[in-house]
Amino acid sequence: MEYRLRLAKRMLFNKKGSLIGAILAVTIGILVIHVNFVIFQGLYDAIVRDVTDYNIGNVQITDKIDYIEKSDLSLVNWLERIPYVEAATPRLSAHGEMDVVTNGMLIEEARIPVVGVDPFRDIRASTVHETVADGTYVFSRNTMVLGSVLAEDLGGVQVGDSVKLILIDRWGQEQTKRFTVSGLAESPGGQGFDYSAVIHIDTLRDMLKRPSSSDSILIRLNDPSKALEVKDFFLLSFPNDDFVAQTVEEASEKQLAGFRSGIALINLIGYFGMMSSAFAIVTIQMMLVNGKTKEIGVMRSIGARRKDILIIFIFQGMIIGAIGAGVGTATGLGYTFYAKETKMSFNGSLALEVTYNWEKISQTALLSFLLAIVASLYPSYRATRLLPVEAMRTV
Amino acid sequence: MLEVSGLTKIYGPKDNQVRALDEVSFSIEQGEIALIVGSSGSGKSTLLNMIGLLDRPTKGHIRIDGVDTTTLNDGAISTFRNRKLGFIFQFSNLLSDLSVLENVLLPLQISGRDYTEEDAKELLRAVGLDDQISKRANKISGGQAQRAAIARGLINKPSIVLADEPTGNLDSLTSEKIVELIKSMAKRLNQTFIIVTHDREHFGDVDRIITIKDGKAFQDEQMEITA
Repeated sequence: MEYRLRLAKRMLFNKKGSLIGAILAVTIGILVIHVNFVIFQGLYDAIVRDVTDYNIGNVQITDKIDYIEKSDLSLVNWLERIPYVEAATPRLSAHGEMDVVTNGMLIEEARIPVVGVDPFRDIRASTVHETVADGTYVFSRNTMVLGSVLAEDLGGVQVGDSVKLILIDRWGQEQTKRFTVSGLAESPGGQGFDYSAVIHIDTLRDMLKRPSSSDSILIRLNDPSKALEVKDFFLLSFPNDDFVAQTVEEASEKQLAGFRSGIALINLIGYFGMMSSAFAIVTIQMMLVNGKTKEIGVMRSIGARRKDILIIFIFQGMIIGAIGAGVGTATGLGYTFYAKETKMSFNGSLALEVTYNWEKISQTALLSFLLAIVASLYPSYRATRLLPVEAMRTV
Repeated sequence: MLEVSGLTKIYGPKDNQVRALDEVSFSIEQGEIALIVGSSGSGKSTLLNMIGLLDRPTKGHIRIDGVDTTTLNDGAISTFRNRKLGFIFQFSNLLSDLSVLENVLLPLQISGRDYTEEDAKELLRAVGLDDQISKRANKISGGQAQRAAIARGLINKPSIVLADEPTGNLDSLTSEKIVELIKSMAKRLNQTFIIVTHDREHFGDVDRIITIKDGKAFQDEQMEITA
């Protein structure tokens, strides 16, 4: 083994306290980045996942100006012939007023968002039906699923209760219909229909006097990476319509943009944490240099050049960086594995969507390795400036 | 071999200068054992540091094997120290992180020349440490450490071995053995030794004695004249 590397290793490993301190500094720096990534990127991805699963799909089709008037049946059938499309379903939304009457008495009335779904297609294209914790999903034209938050706001509506929905149709006329609550929906993080009432799309169309309208088509892909291809193919196929096709990221841009800025900020804080680790390495290596002053003097006296001393301490930085990066990455991966396997969530909120981002993991490990080397430069330089005759006087 | 001429070393600021060496001149031939003696603070260690290129003189010249070492730059000085000079310190100064063998091999490794461990093992055998080669340097006795230091000082076959109080930290019995070892190695290898000591009696007959007094050097005959 190269004598400078051997000497660097021995000097470092014989000062176990310093070595452990330096490795811990690098490890903690990396772990902070990993934890930040797992939590904040996991939260971001979880929101994208739930928005995809519940509201938008991988690709969403809307109309530039108004409702989609083209037959939802023909559109869905056309879409489902694309190999990448697993399922598609129309959605229609409106706002209405709801009265809850129990024992002939008006308990509560509120203005609420209403979503119309095709129950048979929706369960293929979306998983929002899985959020129905109590009762069943919309299964007929006079049943309604209420979001749990809404049900609570309306005075604790239960499955089986009767509610009255009042809408204003396209001609300005008030339309009223009574529904039986078939289920209550509750999703972790509230990305589902927790704040809405869900009814059969045809019932909503009838009430709005819009017999064939939809305001969006939700498309679920069997390969989400083909979202752009499907979108472009769709738009090319309907050049004369006013369709807007967007991927989930595009459609939820407003919702996610702020979150992305937050992640960038958190990452920045993480990288500052890594810089702090570098300062810790500088301090620990300065201690190592001070502790080896006499040895440096001896080495210089027997012919070691400044370059040799520099290389020895840079080797130490590389050893600290390599072990620290290894331990830090292993610890970070352990945390990521734990978060993924336990479907980690905070206070019953949505479960984090944990992924192994190997590119980022490698970058973080490499960056911390390089930072450890950079951090060792100043102590190494200081070691080279020691005059042999003075260094050897050190006790 | 070694020529020192007009060597002067002045420490401190202009208004408070200390003249540690004052126009010191002498020469030492190949294979000689020379003692540098003098009382504490007389400048003998300063002189050894100058000869060993560990410190630069204020004035004067040191020629080793015809090379004026006072003109060398830092890198050349390191190479010169490695190739032409061997050091034996009072406290052996072995690197505690390395084994005895690795300590002896270190000057060879620093030189970048091809080497075999056998060279070091042979020297360690010669100094009586062949059974200690794998031990960590801080796990052997003071006398053994000093023997290892002698082996390290000789490994590169230097022109001059400089020894600064090599027996100063040892008991009298071990000191005698070390002195014997140095003398026998000098004879065996025709090696020049320059030894700083405050106890000339220990070394018995040597080729040359240089006495430093108040920064000035006197060779043995001169000392008698001035006395």
